[in-house]
This record gives sequence, C-alpha cells and structure tokens, in this order.
Amino acid sequence: MAKIIVVTSGKGGVGKTTSAAAIATGLALRGKKTVVIDFDVGLRNLDLIMGCERRVVYDLVNVIQGEAGLNQALIRDKRVDNLHILPASQTRDKDALTQEGVEKILETLTKDFDYIVCDSPAGIERGAQLAMYYADEAVVVTNPEVSSVRDSDRILGLLASKTRRAENGQEPVKEHLLITRYNPARVDHGDMLNLDDIQEILAIDLLGLIPESEAVLRASNQGIPVTHDNDSDAGQAYTDTVSRLLGEKVPLRFHETQKKGLLSRMFGGGRR
Amino acid sequence: MSLNVDRASMAFSFKGGMLPMTVMELTSADPERIREQLAGKLSQAPAFFQHTPVVLSVEKLDEPHLALERICAVCRAHKLLPVAVRGGSDPVKQSAWALGLGWFPPQEIKPRVLESVGNEAPVERVADEAPPAAIKGGRIHRGTVRSGQQVSAPEGDLVVVGSVNAGAEVLAAGSVHVYGALRGRALAGIHGDHDAGIFCRELHAELLSVAGNYKRLEDIDPQLLGRSVEVQLSDDQLTIVSLT
Repeated sequence: MAKIIVVTSGKGGVGKTTSAAAIATGLALRGKKTVVIDFDVGLRNLDLIMGCERRVVYDLVNVIQGEAGLNQALIRDKRVDNLHILPASQTRDKDALTQEGVEKILETLTKDFDYIVCDSPAGIERGAQLAMYYADEAVVVTNPEVSSVRDSDRILGLLASKTRRAENGQEPVKEHLLITRYNPARVDHGDMLNLDDIQEILAIDLLGLIPESEAVLRASNQGIPVTHDNDSDAGQAYTDTVSRLLGEKVPLRFHETQKKGLLSRMFGGGRR
Repeated sequence: MSLNVDRASMAFSFKGGMLPMTVMELTSADPERIREQLAGKLSQAPAFFQHTPVVLSVEKLDEPHLALERICAVCRAHKLLPVAVRGGSDPVKQSAWALGLGWFPPQEIKPRVLESVGNEAPVERVADEAPPAAIKGGRIHRGTVRSGQQVSAPEGDLVVVGSVNAGAEVLAAGSVHVYGALRGRALAGIHGDHDAGIFCRELHAELLSVAGNYKRLEDIDPQLLGRSVEVQLSDDQLTIVSLT
C-alpha cells in the first residue's frame, strides 16, 4: 500500500509544483518507489519542472477516460530509477477529472508504489479537492506572507472536512507545514512573517523550511528538480524535508541569518 | 451593474428567514393567573423581559373564546410583545387578526419543551441538530477554527479550546470563550442576549459583536490588541476590558 501525499496550498505561485517535484525526487533517491501526479489539468507544469515535457504522450485525463492505459501514460524519470511521472492534460480543464476515475488510478498505483505524490492545482475548487480527497498526508506549502498563510489556513480546514478520511471518520489526514521562499534577512527586516508567527497561526508541525534561493529558479528552468542540486541551500533543505517525511529527526537549517565570521567582517566579504 | 441599479430602485425585497421565537404556551386562559406567573418570572429573570417578541400558543386550551386582548395587555405590561397567535378556534383567529397579530395554524408535531415550567418561560427554539459535545445547549470545540470555517452554538455558550483564525467565524446564543488567539469574527448573544460576552486569551478579532452591537478591528483600541480581554455590553455600548 502506497502512502498518498498531497502537496497543496490554496494560493498559487508559492512553490507547490517545485516542492512536489523535489519531494518526489527526494523520496525516490532514498529508494522509495514513487510516482508524482500532476492534478493541474489545463495548466500543466510538473512535466517541465521534472524535465520530461518532450516525452508526454498520454496524460491523466486520457487514462481517466479510458483512452490510454495507466502504464502508457506513466513516464519513467531519466535521472532516478524509482521515479515516475503522470502528467496532466494541457488541452482539457478540471471538469475532465472524475472522482471515480481518480480513485481507480490511485487504487492501481497504490499496489506498485511506496509513495504517490499529488501535485494539487491552486485554489479550492474541483481540481484541488480531488487532489486532496484520497490523501493520507498533506504537505501544505506556505510563503512567509499573510495572504499565503490565510489560504493555507483555509486549505487546512478543507483537509479536515473534505477528504475521504474525514468523511469516513478515519484518522485525520496528517498535516505538514512546508515554508518556502524564506529569507531570514528580510524576516529580520520585518518584510516577511517569521517562522514562529506562521507556526502559531497554522498550528501544525513544521516539515521543512526552504530558503529563498536562486537555485530553485535555475532548477525549474533546467527541468532538474532542485533536490539533485546538493550544493545549493534549497536542495539541501528539500533533502532534510524528505528525511523528516520519512520520520527522521533532522535539525532545522537556513532559518537564521548567517552570522558573519570575524574574517569576513574584517574584509567585508562573505555571503550576504 | 444593471443589477445594482435595479436593486437601488426597489423599496424592499422579501427574504425568507427562520428566526428564533419564544412561544408562550398557555395552559390557562385566565389573564389574572397569567399576570401572577409573569410577575413572578420577571423578578427571577428580568433580562428575559426586554420587549421580547412572543408567540401565544393556545393549542392546549380548549376554549373557543379567549380574552385575547386582556392577555396581550398583561404580556405588554411585563415587556413581552405578542406578535402572533398559534392554534385555537376560528373566533380566536379572527380576534388575533383584529388585534393586528398574526395567526399560525397549530403545530402538528409536539413542540419540544426545553425548560420545565417553574424555571423560566417555556422557550422553543428553531429546530437544530444537537451539535457534538453539547452541554446544556452549549458546545466545546477543540482545535483551531480555520479561515472559512464557522462554528456555532445556537443554544448556549461556545467554548473554543484553540485559536480562531482570521477569516473564521464563531457564534453563540450565549457567550463565546476562546482559549487561544481570536483573530476572526466572534458574535455572542446572536438571539439578542445582552448579557452575553466574549472572552479570549489574545485579541486580534476582525469583528466583535454582542447582541448585534459590534466593533470592527479598526474600532478597537490598539493598546488592547494582543491582550487577554473580556467584551461586554453596557448601555448598548461594547466595552472591552483587559483581563491582565
């Protein structure tokens, strides 16, 4: 039985797809057989981030409508053996998704995989609700700004009521907070909400904190999930995040401004 | 835009609504006995008698003719406002209309008597499913009330063990108690109970309302923000008092 993890946020542009790709990659690198599904029908992006856009033949909607088999639509990742991608359709809209269709696909995948990562579209409508409906765990991606925190709060309310687990009265969906685009210097300046404020409002466990980093944009444009970039702060932060998702205790990094060492203070060098 | 123009030209619009209404179930048609009992109640619960609208139910009376005018006068003298009559014979219906009161047909199902005679006036509330963890009509909610969620206690006090986040709404017929930060909207005394209050550990509320008297975040003294407070109504004014 695979664990179904939804990556969601409510607000758009906070880094859901980047995080879904990075987490799925990280899980696969740790030897877990993983599939990542793009639920953003009509605004397909995951294939670009994963660098497999030229290999898409069939998609999620084709499978739901019986036009292709699941195995025909699954794309094997070039870099990691255990990783598969199920792309969304770019030419359809979210109404093409049906609850029964999604359930059937997840049921089939759950037999072959250890982890199913669902990349949710923004918003709280049909696409987002279907992406979260069957989830066992949820990674709520939040930026350190008030609108993002409020939307995440809304999503957490939906996770507690509009999921299969909630409707069947099972153990609730396990909620994790993933803060992305965190810039400690700007937090110190008061431009961004700080970690404690976000955690106080959302009141869920912190899974990870991804610093604002050039590496993320670079990775997106190259189509290589940032987890592969082990030299970068963001890459390392995602690796930590995956370890915590697997139940390991890893200390938090990148949440404080780098203290300048004596030498760099004297010579004015070092990272800013 | 055309829709707005239309609305502006209309003097009114009809809206369906379910309002909570106190039903005064008469078991005697004698105005003197009613007066005696009301006088006793007035001293027990003066807050209840504040021009409270009531429906006079005469279903349990077997009298074709009622001294309806005198009964109404007794009620008004005790600050109860009869607005309608329920049940009774045709002459009762006619005299209700003559007095400017509405008339409702008798109820088919037996009304729930929530309070026994001798405590307070029998009150019937809008049918509502009993909320989970109900204690004497009140409700305890554990956990954060999140943006977009609404938690209500339509018959008593609401206790939230957790925070109420921005964009969330908590309502109660009685008081609202929040053992956490109150960042959303809190409405106490939604049926008009002026004695209800709002209590919270940390005040950042978007809106505070007691019995329809409200304050927005903007109207709240900034010095009180973040404090543990009690919100009460005095002389139809919301007063916020720091508890620390």
